[in-house]
Amino acid sequence: MTIPRSPRRLRAGRAATATAGLLATLMVAAGCSAGGTQSQAGGEPQEGGDLVFLIDSLGPTWVPNNSSISSFQGHIWGHLTDKLVYVDENGTVSPWVAESWDQNEDATQFTLKLKDGVTFSDGSPVDAAAVVANLDIWARGDVERGINPIGLFPKTYVSAEALDDLTVQVDFVAPTLGFIPTLGYHGSILISPETLAAPAEEQADLANDIGSGPFVVESWTEGDEVVLKKRDDYDWAPEALDHDGPAYLDTLTYKVVAEPSVRTAAVQSGQAQVAYNPSPQELEFYGEQGFTVAAPRYLGFVNGYAINTQVAPFDDVRVRQALQVGIDRDEILSTVYTDDWLPAASFIQSNVPGATDHSDALVHDPEAAAALLDEAGWVEGSDGVRTKDGQRLSFTLHPNPYLATSQAVDELVAQQLAELGFDVDIQAYDVITFGERVSFANPSIPTYEVTRSFIDAGTVAGVLTDAENGENWFNVGQSDPTLTELAQDVATATTTEERDPVLDELQGYVLDRAYFVPLTQIAQRLYLQSPDVQGVTYNGVAYANYYTAWLAE
Amino acid sequence: MSSTTNRSAARRAYGRYAVRRLAQAVAVVLLAYVFTFLVISVLPGDPVSNVLRDPQNNFSEQEIARIVAYYGLDQPIWVQLVEALSRFVVGDLGVSLRSNLPVSGLLADVLPSTLRLAGAALAVALVLAFAIAFGVRNLPAPLARPLRAFPSLFLSVPNFLIGLVLIQWFSFQLGLFLVIDAESLLATFFAAVALGIPVSAQIAEVLIANLDHEARQEYAAVARSRGLGRARLFTAHLLKPSSLPVVTVVALTVGELLGGSLITETIFGRNGVGNLVQRSVATQDLPVLQAVVALAAVVFVVVNLVADLVYPLLDPRVRLDASPARTKEVSA
Repeated sequence: MTIPRSPRRLRAGRAATATAGLLATLMVAAGCSAGGTQSQAGGEPQEGGDLVFLIDSLGPTWVPNNSSISSFQGHIWGHLTDKLVYVDENGTVSPWVAESWDQNEDATQFTLKLKDGVTFSDGSPVDAAAVVANLDIWARGDVERGINPIGLFPKTYVSAEALDDLTVQVDFVAPTLGFIPTLGYHGSILISPETLAAPAEEQADLANDIGSGPFVVESWTEGDEVVLKKRDDYDWAPEALDHDGPAYLDTLTYKVVAEPSVRTAAVQSGQAQVAYNPSPQELEFYGEQGFTVAAPRYLGFVNGYAINTQVAPFDDVRVRQALQVGIDRDEILSTVYTDDWLPAASFIQSNVPGATDHSDALVHDPEAAAALLDEAGWVEGSDGVRTKDGQRLSFTLHPNPYLATSQAVDELVAQQLAELGFDVDIQAYDVITFGERVSFANPSIPTYEVTRSFIDAGTVAGVLTDAENGENWFNVGQSDPTLTELAQDVATATTTEERDPVLDELQGYVLDRAYFVPLTQIAQRLYLQSPDVQGVTYNGVAYANYYTAWLAE
Repeated sequence: MSSTTNRSAARRAYGRYAVRRLAQAVAVVLLAYVFTFLVISVLPGDPVSNVLRDPQNNFSEQEIARIVAYYGLDQPIWVQLVEALSRFVVGDLGVSLRSNLPVSGLLADVLPSTLRLAGAALAVALVLAFAIAFGVRNLPAPLARPLRAFPSLFLSVPNFLIGLVLIQWFSFQLGLFLVIDAESLLATFFAAVALGIPVSAQIAEVLIANLDHEARQEYAAVARSRGLGRARLFTAHLLKPSSLPVVTVVALTVGELLGGSLITETIFGRNGVGNLVQRSVATQDLPVLQAVVALAAVVFVVVNLVADLVYPLLDPRVRLDASPARTKEVSA
């Protein structure tokens, strides 16, 4: 009698991942003729049509506060809801539901004027009271009801008050220049107060979550698909999007297809219009086939190492500086990435307002690196690894599990540094173990590989030192008076004009002291798109917006 | 002994047997529930803080601790276990830690898809298995011999490969079904083919072996000597006794069809139990995993029980008499 063959099944499952890549190539080759039809871009926008977006997952819960910043659900929230302000891919803030705003002199009090006539899809008004309810829940959540706060909302928030139907006053304990840009962040979605008052179990049913966006939920199945249909009376899009009234598309379907090669092949065969997260290796091929590849950058930190300055060998600034100029960033770009990725010019992405060009500090210079290490007393031994007082010049890298290319980048860095006499070990963890073992300012973690988005450069002030519950990324505490003062000045600036020069000085200083060693700028959200899809816009956190999109037939 | 006392003794024995089997079944389901809880609990981390610790979320440890407390995950393990068990015995499967939705609703969402797929795959497997067996016994040797190799071939081709090839040909090339409409009739059929092919191999192997065995029996020789044709011999005499062990194999594969459909579901983009399990395992969503394991235990217990009950109907030689040893033999 045959025994159930579960062990074999398990092995097959693991092999599936490997072989799927191979098969993707086969499918691509087989479908060439079908995908060759190129309709050229341009022409007048056309009404109607259904767009299908294939996505790897629809994430965990749909409780708005607990899911709005998810890389998956964020796509749906962006179409179901509006925000108070719009932030474009260059970080420029412009009016949306908030028509205008004011701040007091020390940036601790803001007044928002709301657009008249905006309604949630159940007909209730998006008025001052509704905005206050949203601000409160973003800032504090309601943990006793299972509603998390929005982690990136300014912790300096005190309260909000409706002055009249369309005016909201917001108070902070300290200058909070980042408040207005944060309102355009993916966490700051406007939800009807009625939904917000419901228990988590009800909010977790997407059909109960009422927004004011250009689309509403038509149907959804947990973990499978979400179908959105356009709202005919929508008429309050951000001016920056250059489109009034309802969306062009009739429906927008987000469908889970876990297998990446099936997602891309389905777009190629015309069954769907967009595939999310195609594997970077496939991009060049599809680009040549006439498909659109979009790799928009988000606003945030670049991908790079935050160095723990209290851990040998990085307690010596010269070793850190050797690392800064010892890494060949161009080689990383040409080996691991495609042309869609940009070199780092600072430790924040170059599209962040206030980011300045410090690429001079990041030029590959192996001679300078070797000289720095010599000067610091690290002598090359017979095996090519430098030593000092019997200690080897070695440290461990922990690839960031949230960035797919991280391990490949770390392996290349390890090779590059080996030529300088470093002995670099790589220890990769899964998401759970990484979360438990790898943290900033941890005595056993010499480098923390950063990938994090933010909407306002003021966020930077909160990570540099341990002042004001800062995250202390470099484990310097407040021992470096220059850094402490610069961070303080960024945090307390009351206008961007005042802040920008400080930010520039800060970026130069952090890179010069090699507290942060940047690698490349990040394009974390990738889209493979049929050439029929026109007019897509991308916001400051790299989400595709199909409100402005239309299908050319 | 008179036949009446004999019959009532048999009935009492059957009653005891039925009660024992039922008690066993309940114990199996409860143990599966507790075992799942313990296995998941020894894993590091918990589903809630794993998500919150994503640096994008920017939560402090204090905030994480407060949120974890909301879900009761800061309680000692035994307290959590007692709570989960006391819910379970009254039929409350709890709320998913991952999605905040009731577990019963999540199961109701995915069960129909898996049942359709498993049912269709079983049908495909049975048709294929009987077709192969018929061919092996009735086709001329040059055709029948290579046909005997089919079951091993079916077993050795991984079903994700079959699935990807079917999608490539029938969906992307011929456009017979859309991968984005996974529940359509044809999409379900091709998914069932991918899943049913390896299962058919197991059934076909057993069937062919039994047909070979029966064909060597005296009654078959007698039938042949009286001039009965191959096809007639197959359908009228060999098939029924050879089908008996197939019932046992089918009972075993039903579990495999329900549990082992994950890869097929993933490839074909179907939202079934396998996909729910995958999502829940990745996030350590304990209430969902416990419910699915308990459900699987129920399915196995019920299917095996049904197989035991069907057996005596197919073969009058098999009877549930008073001896427990005998019944055990039957159920094995």
